[in-house]
Parts: sequence; C-alpha cells; structure tokens
Amino acid sequence: MENTVEFRNITKYFPGVKALDHVSFFARSGEVLAFLGENGAGKSTLLKTLNGDYQPDEGEYLINGKAAHFQNPHEAIEAGISVIYQERQILMELSVAENIYLGRMPVNKLGVINTRKANEMAAAIIRDFGLPIHPTEKVKDLSIAYQQMVEIMKAYSRENLKVICFDEPTASLSDSEIDSLFKVIRKLKSEGKIIIYVSHRMQEIREITDKVAIFKDGCYVDTVVTGEVSEAELIKMMVGRDIGDIYDALDRSKEIGEVLLEVKHISSNYVDDVSFTLHKGEVLGFSGLVGAGRTETMRAIIGADKMISGEVYLEGKKIVSHSPHDAMQNGIVLVPEDRKTQGILGNLSVADNINIALLDQHSDKLGILRKSEEVRDAAKGIEDFRIKTPSPDKKIMELSGGNQQKCVVARWMGTDPKVLILDEPTKGIDVGAKSEFYHMICEFAKKGLGVILISSELPEVIGLSDRIIVMRSRKISGEVMRKDATEPKLLALGMMDSDLIEEKED
Amino acid sequence: MEKDKTKLRKLIGGDKLILIAAIVVVFALFTTLNKNFLSTTNLVNILVAASLVGLVAIGHTYLIIAGQNDLSPGSLAAFSGVLAALLVSKGVNFFAALVITIIAGALVGILNALMVNKIHLEAFIATLVTQSVIRGFAYIICGGKPIAISNKTFITIGKLRMAGIPFSVWIMLAAIAISGFILAKTKFGRSIYAIGGNRDAARLAGLNPERIVITSFVMMGIMCAIGGTIFAARMNSGQPAANVNLEFDAITAVILGGVSFTGGVGSMGGTILGVILIQAFNTGLTMVNVPSFWQYVAKGLLLLFALSSDFLRKKNREKKLLEASKKNG
Repeated sequence: MENTVEFRNITKYFPGVKALDHVSFFARSGEVLAFLGENGAGKSTLLKTLNGDYQPDEGEYLINGKAAHFQNPHEAIEAGISVIYQERQILMELSVAENIYLGRMPVNKLGVINTRKANEMAAAIIRDFGLPIHPTEKVKDLSIAYQQMVEIMKAYSRENLKVICFDEPTASLSDSEIDSLFKVIRKLKSEGKIIIYVSHRMQEIREITDKVAIFKDGCYVDTVVTGEVSEAELIKMMVGRDIGDIYDALDRSKEIGEVLLEVKHISSNYVDDVSFTLHKGEVLGFSGLVGAGRTETMRAIIGADKMISGEVYLEGKKIVSHSPHDAMQNGIVLVPEDRKTQGILGNLSVADNINIALLDQHSDKLGILRKSEEVRDAAKGIEDFRIKTPSPDKKIMELSGGNQQKCVVARWMGTDPKVLILDEPTKGIDVGAKSEFYHMICEFAKKGLGVILISSELPEVIGLSDRIIVMRSRKISGEVMRKDATEPKLLALGMMDSDLIEEKED
Repeated sequence: MEKDKTKLRKLIGGDKLILIAAIVVVFALFTTLNKNFLSTTNLVNILVAASLVGLVAIGHTYLIIAGQNDLSPGSLAAFSGVLAALLVSKGVNFFAALVITIIAGALVGILNALMVNKIHLEAFIATLVTQSVIRGFAYIICGGKPIAISNKTFITIGKLRMAGIPFSVWIMLAAIAISGFILAKTKFGRSIYAIGGNRDAARLAGLNPERIVITSFVMMGIMCAIGGTIFAARMNSGQPAANVNLEFDAITAVILGGVSFTGGVGSMGGTILGVILIQAFNTGLTMVNVPSFWQYVAKGLLLLFALSSDFLRKKNREKKLLEASKKNG
C-alpha cells in the first residue's frame, strides 16, 4: 500500500519568531527520510505540527492525498501517525503487552480485559521484530533500547500505521542496539511505512536514510538523495555557509607578542603547583580529562577559589585577586563552564546580563545608574556579538544557549580585559554558533588579548590553540605546540598513569 | 497613552492586577460589613498602622529579593523603642538618642549578616537567634517595665501631623520612595536582584554577594530602629513586649506584593500594595469584631494565599520561559 505525506506552505509562529516558514515538501512510502538542520531550524516543530501537538498558522498537510487537521497527538496516533521521542513515552510499571495495547486492550463481552489474548497478540509482534523479550515482562526491567522497541511496536500494532517519526532515536543507544533499530526501520520501510528520521549523526544518516530533507531557520531548503551529496555540502546547505574546514577557514594571521600573564607555582585546594605563561595574541589551550584541575586552576587565578600559594604576574607586575571582582579590575575575566548555573543571571534581562560587570562604570558616586549608558552598551554588545534577541529587555533565559553564551562573552569584553579565559565555551551549542565563537576567539587574539581556552573537544582545542597545556590529576602534565598537537598525543598526556592513581588513593 | 500604561505597569510590577482586585474586594467587603471602614479617620488609621509594617516590609523586600529573610524585626523594633525612650529618660537629646538607636539597629543587621556570611546559616534560622536575643535585651535594658516618655520632642514626633496626615505616615512614604528608587535605579539595587537570582554567577560576574547581604541587613536594621522609635513615640512609651509578629505581617505583605520567596524577583511598588492590603485586612477584622483568636487564623490563611499566588506566579513565569525557549530550541 502506497502512503504519502505532503506539506503545503506550513507556517508556524511563536511570539516574535517564525518557527516554520512556508514549508512544502513530499514524502512517500518505502523511503527513510532524514530531517537535517541546526537546533532551532524547525525540525521538531514540523514533527509536532504533523502529530497534532501544534496547529499550523498557515498551510496544510495531506495524508494520502487527503487534508488532515489533527487537534492533538491522540488524533494523529488514531490516524496512523506516530512519533518516537528521545524520552520514553511508556509506563514503566506495566508489562510489554499492556504498553503495546495501552487503551485498547482486547476485552470480552463484559468489558473484562483479556490479558492472555493481549499477550498472544504482543508475542506475535515481538516474534515479527525478532526480539528476545517476553510480553509479560515489566517495561522497567528492559534496557533502554528495548523500551524504545516497545514504543515502536506500540505504533506498529496499529493496523493503519502510515508514518513513523524518530526524533534523535540513537542518542542513548549502543552500536549493536543501533544495528537492531536499523533492522526494524528497514522492516517498516519494506512494509510501505513512511519513516522520518531526525538526527545530527551524519554516519547514521548515511547508513539508514534514502533521502535527506534539509532545514534552515524554519525554511525548507531542499531534499537530496543520500550519498549523492557530500557531508561538507550537506552542512553547508544546513548552516548556509561552508564550515567543512571550519578550523582552516579561521583567520589566524596574527602575531604572538610578549609575555602577558605569568602564573608561578599556584596551588589551591584543587590544584598543585601550576605554572605557565601566556603571550599577547596567543590562544592557549587547556586539555585534559574533566576534573584534572583545568577549571580549578582558572578559578584560583581569578580569586573564585582561594589561592594557597603561588604568584600571578600580569605584564610583568605582580597582581593579587582575592575575588573575581579583583581579577576583573586587574584585567582577567572568565566565561565559566556551566552557563546556566555560573554564567547567566537567569532572572535578569539580556541588557542587565551584559551590563552586570559594568555597574561601577555605569553609575555615579551615589551608585545611581546612568540609563543611557546602559542602553548604549547593551545595544553595542548585542550588535558586536550578533546576539539574536527580540529586545534587550527580554529575559536572558528566553534565548537559545548560543545566544546566552554570547551575552556572557559580551559582558566580559565590555570590561576591556587583557586576558580572556573561556571554559568549555561551545558546550551544548549548535554548529553554526560554534563556528561564530571560533571566529570570535581568533579575533580576540588578533586584537592582542591573551586567550585561554579550556575544551574537552580535542579537535576544537587543537584547531584553535597556538599552544596546548595538558593537565592530569591537579597538575600540568605536558605542553604541546600547535604543529605537534595530535589527538593521541593529548590523550596520552591527559590520561592518568598508574603511579598517579596510587598517589591519589593515599 | 499607551506609553503611560506601560510605565504604570512597570512601576507596579506588571502582574499586580490580582493584588489590586484583592484590595478592592477587601475594602468592599469590610465597607459592606461596617460603613465606617471607608471613613477618613479609619483610612488614616490604616495608614498609621501600616507605617511600621511598611518600613519593615521595605527591609524584607530587599532581603527576600536578595535571597535572604529576617525574623528579628519585631524584637528589634521593640528594643529600639525601649532604647530610645531609655536614653531620653536619662537626659540624652532626642536626636542623639535616635542616632544611637539607629546605630544599634545597624549593628544588629551586621550581626545577622555575619551569621549568614561567615557561618553560612540560613537567614531564617540565623535571624531566629537575634529574634530571641534582641527581645531578651529589650526586657533587660528596661528591667521588664515599659519606659514612659516625657520628652517633648519625642512626644511631638508621635503627634505631629502634616496636611492632616501623621508624621509616621510621611516617614513611611518617604522611605518607600527612596528605597524604591534605590532598588530600581542604582548599582546596589541591581546587585540585589543579581545575587538573589544566582549568587554564584553574580560573584563570578564581579559582584560581592557578602557585602550586598550586609548592606541589606543593615538597611533592615535601620528601618526597624526608625520604625520602633516612632512607634514608641505614638504610644508615649518604650514597651519591651511590643511588635510581636511584626515580621509576619511584613513578610506576608511583601510576598503578596509579588516578591518571590525564592529570590531575584519583585518590586517596591508591589510591596506598597501588599502593605495596604494586609493593614486593611487587619484593621477590618478588628472593626467587624472578629475575635482576636480567629484573627490569627485569618492572618495565617492570608499568608497561605500569598504563598500560593507566589507559587502560581512562578509557574506562570516558567511557562512563559518554556514557551519562549520552545521557539528558540
């Protein structure tokens, strides 16, 4: 049986944003169609429109040529449209069969549930799928992969299943589990279902999908046949620019100047005897395992943690920072690792977040803030760092992660620092915003700032740094120049060796 | 016109319609039950009674937005009244006595802040300590007996009226205007919101949370000292047993006014409305002869109402954020 889904000019607005902009395309039976796009490109919104969670503001969608208007996900499921989300939508305390037939368990004339029949029916589907699970098992006793399978079987058990959508289905699956998921997807495909597959993983897209529909900023870009277009090309279509060789494209034509920062033998409760130098115009990478003391070294330098011993020299002069405020006045600032709990002030606006480090500059002797200066500097930060916000007065929590992070960077750059420390600045940020950050980092270095970049992503730290310091259990374990830096080398320096482990246990 | 509306909205903090509606309901209800409720004399009485709660509520607005709290104002206000009366009775000039009392109040604020900053006590518990200790000293310095006030200046403070409105009310209005300005327009005000929202992030952003906490507690101490002294002037005596549960009314007023118990959110405009509401409520209960035992029950329920509306406002904010981030995510 041939199934089709057609979107015609679907447009969906959210306050201040066009989430979907006249999206039109067509999907048919026997195809696995990938949705590809950055975070916020509209993939999830489109899925939620198809399954009745959202109502489109304009346009319509047709199932098998007939216009459909689902008011809620329940109606969509009844009509044979299912979405499998990352978070499980099943009841842990119930059995496999009870979950598959939830709300439509077979009953006898008196309305009493016939569990035996349900189990038999479920067993048939399980056999069909070739899975080693039993209908009477409780779902909570299954692995995450099998729980997902139960959800798929629940959708499959409906005679009229036409479309099944997977939203990042492999996020928590192992390789072998992914294989069995793909087996099931191929089976669904051979039975004429339409499969929509949302994922960021190129390798999977290559392996399982037949076509790729690309989305950008709420617009549908194009559909291409998988394999006919190179990965770099796909990414270019998705972000609207070439980031295939993102690190090579960076402007690194700068001069590394004289010594800017000298850290001598500092120790805190979390790090031991750390020494390094940073030059003007240099990007100094810090690599190592999480917990090796990279963040803690920086916290000691800016006075967030107490420095027990050691000295810090900036431009040859000894400086002392008892608090982040002192460090800021000395010209050393930190964009912290955890944006939500340490970076942004969630209850304040975008403007207030940018200006919070400039309160001294913006106020007179009595502490009264000069509104005009605040407005001016907030506008400048928003413009300089291309922060996407409907207004400076919007709560910062309403922005995307990348834009929140830009606000924190704007905050510190507004203080005109000499040393900028970035702790995992691109964590949880989508590809497009990442490349913007990379360009920013290079620009800062070019301006003569000393930049310290802590990153657990090896390609990032190798691609951006002029020199890389590796830390291992509270100490510096090595230093590598850019030209010698390879992933295995950094990993080797960053891994604990046996005598250090023993030392730690002492 | 449109702009005026947004300005007004900003001034009272946006979502205050329910609060204004509640005030209208309370006034309408008590007026129906006793038509004297809306008389000028009674309205002035409400304002006078509100003046002490108002001053303390200013302090609570600062502290609760900053993520702190204070249970000692009742004790401190009583102590301040007794101290001022005692000093004056020993021949100290009234204004000198007032200054000394204010310094004492500020010191109690510092003590509260030290317990919070240095031994990391929750403000709720730390100020429970001072609540008891300061009440003790209120009795100790006067030997347990109220101190009558005979100093003319002191008595005048309690009786003085300007434009028909008692001096204590003017003091409260001035204090609200000044502290509202500080909260909305100054570095210190902004810092209070920042540390109340996220203390760690605020510190990493270069603020000094400990100093902001000290300043907030000191302001509360000063408010209690001024309020307690004026209260004593009105009563013509410093009474060590006075002002019990003062903080209860003030906290209820502040939460009613839209300050979030979890910190980081609120405005002085909301606090004014909250103070008016709670004082109208308290006065009304007495006027329609609700037995005092039942008044406790009613006040408790009003606090429950305030906390519930705080909860709902928080839900609402989260929902709005979710909506907004949905569109970005």
